[in-house]
Amino acid sequence: MLNIKNLKASIDGKEILNGLNLDIGAGQVHAIMGPNGAGKSTLSYVLAGREEYEVTGGDITLDGQSIMDMSPEERAAAGLFLAFQYPVEIPGVQMTTFMKTAVNSVRKARGLKELDAIDFLKLMKGKCKELGISDDMMKRAVNVGFSGGEKKRNEVLQMAMLDPKFCVLDETDSGLDIDALKIVADGVNAMRGGDKSFLVITHYQRLLDYIKPDVVHVMSKGRIIKTGGPELALELEAKGYADIVGAAA
Amino acid sequence: MSFAFENIPSVKSERWKYSNLQRALKDLSLTPARLGWDGNVSLLSPHAPGAMEYGDTQLWDLNASQTKDIKFITSNDIIDVSAKDGQSLSPRLIIDVKAGENITIIENHNGDGVYWKNAVVQINIEENAIFNHYRTIEESEKGVNTLFTHVKIAKGASYNAFTMVLGDGFVRNQIHAEIMGEGAHCGLAGVNLLASTQHADTTITIEHQAPHGTSNQTYKSVLTDKAHGVFQGKVHVHKVAQKTDGYQLSNALILSPQAEMDTKPELEIYADDVKCSHGATTGKLDDDPLFYMRARGIPEPVARALLIEAFCAQALECIADDVFAQTMREEIAKWLTSRA
Ligand SMILES: Nc1ncnc2c1ncn2[C@@H]1O[C@H](COP(=O)(O)OP(=O)(O)OP(=O)(O)O)[C@@H](O)[C@H]1O
Ligand SMILES: [Mg+2]
Repeated sequence: MLNIKNLKASIDGKEILNGLNLDIGAGQVHAIMGPNGAGKSTLSYVLAGREEYEVTGGDITLDGQSIMDMSPEERAAAGLFLAFQYPVEIPGVQMTTFMKTAVNSVRKARGLKELDAIDFLKLMKGKCKELGISDDMMKRAVNVGFSGGEKKRNEVLQMAMLDPKFCVLDETDSGLDIDALKIVADGVNAMRGGDKSFLVITHYQRLLDYIKPDVVHVMSKGRIIKTGGPELALELEAKGYADIVGAAA
Repeated sequence: MSFAFENIPSVKSERWKYSNLQRALKDLSLTPARLGWDGNVSLLSPHAPGAMEYGDTQLWDLNASQTKDIKFITSNDIIDVSAKDGQSLSPRLIIDVKAGENITIIENHNGDGVYWKNAVVQINIEENAIFNHYRTIEESEKGVNTLFTHVKIAKGASYNAFTMVLGDGFVRNQIHAEIMGEGAHCGLAGVNLLASTQHADTTITIEHQAPHGTSNQTYKSVLTDKAHGVFQGKVHVHKVAQKTDGYQLSNALILSPQAEMDTKPELEIYADDVKCSHGATTGKLDDDPLFYMRARGIPEPVARALLIEAFCAQALECIADDVFAQTMREEIAKWLTSRA
């Protein structure tokens, strides 16, 4: 599904990813854990195609196709979705307008019929209900005045609406209360089962109790330094990063 | 031309610093012409309201001496101020809103080819009346429009103006508003969508001369190509005008490195118990929302258009008439499809 080979990326001349490899199969859930500043969000931005990051080497393929030359919108249409660590506020742009434009842009690019107002609202209302998002929130400007938890739930709502095949969740669990964490995890789990793959970036084992990963990676200083099964997350929770990062250094 | 070039304000004069009208008018060969309005020109007094307030520009007097077109208006109307190639026009609108009335007037300013319209609009709003004054200005590439408005607002009355500048050419849109009676309101708003080598100047003076008056200026400018925008807004609160509430906002969005915006807010306050503030910003489109939208599959031009529409929204909210507001939204969408 998603393959990252020897990826190197820098910003403002500072190298942040230095030779990162990752291979995520169809239907799999991989988790990435790692200390602050390891480059986890940088990886997610580079995957999504943020232009400020300069990719200096390596390749990323989605279903065998390189996405390196694709714009962010082309990547989204190809099925890549990034749930932001810090969702962006967009004053003056209503959630419903934003969502409808996004859904129909993606559908159009995928050769599907665009949804009319009625079908769109039906889809949106259904997903909102599953994720415990009020209609009122959809009338507000994108993320403006949303609480931390609401922003994260809104990311998962957008993910569900856009029907991606590969999703990156960048600390979608941080800032969520226990109930919201369950709602978000249920939202992700509802999308599992088929071919969809997930890359879950988190600091906490807790999320992985709800979203069971197939593989856990530890990232430090811009590369993957250890890979294991779900037990690796438990080990990290108990011992912290010091041993692993130290051993790799 | 039938006027002395020395009478054209030069950039040396304080309030014309950013707008080079002499350059815009140079080499234009124009003939005085008329629109065919039928008001009696001999009724125009050289001491008509506004003459004193516009004492610093000869163009007001020039209009008075040259005008062949006068229109007296007291009720809802739609007025076209359209110039033809080669014309020099000096139209004058005299608008009287009777006490307690509520009227709406739409002015459409446009033209073809090379021309200069030196227009004066004189407005008097009597007690407790409401006047909604909507304008679209869409001049041609070589068109020049100098438009001077003077408005007196009586006790409890309300002046609500919205101007949309599109098109091209050179525009000076100057407004001088006088709050004459207690509790009067002056709301000025506008959207300037400027492209090519267009020049659009909005120059405002609001004089609070009575207590409990409110004034509001909400201007949004979007500039691309080599467009040049100017916003000069002055709020003058006289000593008697206690409890005045004045707010001024000018935001500019620069889409091209060659576009330029000059903004000059001014507050002159002589009363001690007032609430006045201003905010002025000039900036580019934010990268973060743009990337966020694109990451959701929204193509860049569509994302930009949504953000620019959102940027203009606050000015459109000042329009009371829903139909006109919708028309303006469509104009913005049209402009965005063709330019941004
Ligand atoms: N725009 C930028 N300019 C300069 N340095 C940057 C920029 N963005 C990120 N960095 C640096 O890159 C490094 C990796 O940041 P990144 O956000 O990817 O870390 P992270 O692993 O997501 O951390 P966290 O767990 O705190 O979210 C950090 O040292 C950060 O300061
Ligand atoms: Mg991060």
